[in-house]
Amino acid sequence: MTRLTFGESAIDLEPAETVLEALERAGLDPPSGCRAGQCQTCLHRALEGTPPSAAQEGLSPGQKANGHFLACVCTPTADLVIVRPQHIGRNIDAEVRAIDNLAPDIVRLRLAADHFDYRPGQFLELIARDDLRRHYSLASHPCEDDFLELHIRLHENGQMSRHLRDELAVGQQLRIAGPAGACFYEGVDPDQPMALIGAGTGLAPLYGILRDALLRGHRGPIRLYHGARHASALYLRDELRSLADRESRFDYIPCALDPSAPSGGDVSALALSRETDFSGTAFFLCGGENLVNTLKRDIFLRGASLNQIHADAFAPARQYRPKMT
Amino acid sequence: MSTLFERIGGEKAVNAAVELFYRNLLSDGRVARFFDGVDMNEQIAKQKSFLTMAFGGPNNYTGVDMRNAHKRLLEKGLNDSHVDAVLENLDRTLRQLGVGEREVKEVCDLANSVRNDVLSRDQD
Repeated sequence: MTRLTFGESAIDLEPAETVLEALERAGLDPPSGCRAGQCQTCLHRALEGTPPSAAQEGLSPGQKANGHFLACVCTPTADLVIVRPQHIGRNIDAEVRAIDNLAPDIVRLRLAADHFDYRPGQFLELIARDDLRRHYSLASHPCEDDFLELHIRLHENGQMSRHLRDELAVGQQLRIAGPAGACFYEGVDPDQPMALIGAGTGLAPLYGILRDALLRGHRGPIRLYHGARHASALYLRDELRSLADRESRFDYIPCALDPSAPSGGDVSALALSRETDFSGTAFFLCGGENLVNTLKRDIFLRGASLNQIHADAFAPARQYRPKMT
Repeated sequence: MSTLFERIGGEKAVNAAVELFYRNLLSDGRVARFFDGVDMNEQIAKQKSFLTMAFGGPNNYTGVDMRNAHKRLLEKGLNDSHVDAVLENLDRTLRQLGVGEREVKEVCDLANSVRNDVLSRDQD
């Protein structure tokens, strides 16, 4: 007997029953569309157990690695614990290891946590209080760092910013949940050119992805474009410059807004003008929603396949609402 | 007699067509605005589902999702002229891929058969 667990519900699957049918039978009202494994409306994620590969056809390499699957064509052969695709994952304890300034209004927060498996570039949910939760990308690498590193932009009136500035101190406990997100080094050919493009703290996931690519022996050229409003916010500049000096395949292209520069110092315009092989390059785009979504469309229209555009758009903070399971 | 889906090349043909079709739509000033603010990965999955149906492939098309998906666009002024533009782009996409005359017509007829669902009209 194969058992499906969804939130508080445990469902024993009938022979040949799909996950979608089982969820419907249990009255859990799952979303669905084509019921033929294509439209992805019924996308779910397995937190425990491995969904059959037939249920992952057509998903991105990152989604597959995350355990995402299509419920309408999933007839599991082993027990699964599943959640809706946007579910962030389980809560665990973490301790503040360090808080430093990277730039005038950008903070580097390092946390210690046990048993947190992640891929650099994924994000976690930082839970300062039950009603104060934000998502931040991971700049650290699990093989090289014994801490989780987040880069956080401080907003003058932001609740989390105030909490970080006024209350959080080294040694304090908090909770984190995750990881989530499918923007990481997966499905890339080792000889393929990579273009990493981001602005502001979009550098955090890109920095993680860059280190992951190098550690995994990526051989193709890697170009990192980092944009900021002011040159003072081009943080990690020294580290990235010396990395570019050591690694011939790596180019670091920082760019601050400047009306006198050829592209106005706009990181998107700069990257679009310098990149030439849109159908052969693996793109990673991280930063604010506007930047990422516009750039994704522009790169797609220039000939890149969507499964070669890995993107993580940061949504502005919203009032916390309890999530559905 | 082989089916339309077999003649046209099955799932491989859908995969070859879906990104080109989407690119053509985004580049067409008549319909591009309807895709503003849409998650591109979700959109491409939905178009794959639509093309599979239009190519005569395995599907469970009922029209309900098509109606729900386009309700928001009706408020933005979606009408017959836009459906015509989408079908023109489909025709062009198939020709760019070298699909035969007879298959192009069959696919466009199947695609056109969902017009009333897209525009939330009763069947004639």
